[in-house]
Amino acid sequence: MERIFLSIAGFTICLIADEDSKIALDDGYFPFVIPGQSNDPDIIIRTKKGIPKELLNKKHLIFEAKNELRKYFSIYQHMESYKFIIYDQQVENKIQQIAILDREYTNWVIYTNPNEEDNNLYPLQYPLGPIVFYYFTVKLDAIMIHASGVFDGLKGRVFSGFSGTGKSTMAELWQKSGSLIINDDRLIIRKRNAGFEIHNTPMFYPDMPKMAPLHSINLIYHSKGNCIKKLSGTEAISRIMTCCIQHDYDKRIIEHQLSFISSITEQIPVYEVGFFPNEKIVDFITDYAG
Amino acid sequence: MNVSELYNYKKHFASRIVGEELILVPVKSNVADMDKIFTLNGVGNFIWEKIDGKNSEEDIIHEVANEFDVGTETATMDVKEFLNRLYDIVTKI
Repeated sequence: MERIFLSIAGFTICLIADEDSKIALDDGYFPFVIPGQSNDPDIIIRTKKGIPKELLNKKHLIFEAKNELRKYFSIYQHMESYKFIIYDQQVENKIQQIAILDREYTNWVIYTNPNEEDNNLYPLQYPLGPIVFYYFTVKLDAIMIHASGVFDGLKGRVFSGFSGTGKSTMAELWQKSGSLIINDDRLIIRKRNAGFEIHNTPMFYPDMPKMAPLHSINLIYHSKGNCIKKLSGTEAISRIMTCCIQHDYDKRIIEHQLSFISSITEQIPVYEVGFFPNEKIVDFITDYAG
Repeated sequence: MNVSELYNYKKHFASRIVGEELILVPVKSNVADMDKIFTLNGVGNFIWEKIDGKNSEEDIIHEVANEFDVGTETATMDVKEFLNRLYDIVTKI
């Protein structure tokens, strides 16, 4: 029985395939594969070949992710577990995979058809891979946030905001000033020891696992001139939450997220930053926020 | 909508008290409107707690007047304004 171990944001994941199947991973996952074995993984993912017909029913819908153009996935109550129907992003309404997650958010069973080219099973293909990462954070002390993150050697800074607010631009400006880009789109923030850390996650391109100690969270927007304001309390918490990945069908999940974000804001400064996209914003932020 | 009906909507929100304020996040079944998060200040927080399925609007007005040491007229205005705002929030979720 094939087993592959991954380490993502410090969480250990064990992928297990059926005896007559082989697991394959997209290129972006290879840097996160760890050699050897773990006796106590945080998450176990069993991969099965084929999608059973009995799982195709769409009863007890609790959450949907879709827009005007396409469906991404739907979540259903499935006995004592959750059932995820994942849609192919190239072929409308085609079911790509079905996944079952237990109520402890620990054990996944992913049903997937073999790849037409190599006959292997790709359990973590998009969009299910990022969905699995999100549920690490539901289970443990962490959040997943739409954000870029940079590390200057001492301090990790997070830049977040809605689409188009300049997260990637900001990351590039810091990179030009000598910082390392942790990621320019999606981060996991987790509690570690006395503080918090930011981590990248596997993307569609290969990139090494990276992390940094979290120094500040900056909620950014485009502006004619640079300006910065410190946020606190409910304003900081609610503004951060709107930038996070949220599956808000269960009060437990929302309360867990609120609690964790609240603990972040008690320790980590949160700023609202208006910026003009040139390198002057780097010194502007470090002069004000350290 | 009366206070009893508003109470039925409370279970559709997760909440957290932060200092003297209360954050409300609606339980949702889709990814739309993930930025709809509401914050209630001291008086609003107090009224939210008093919507318990047992208190009438008059009971809540009386409690607000006592708690915040204001006259009945002021308490009535505050409670009615808050309940109207809450009605707008819960019916749009």
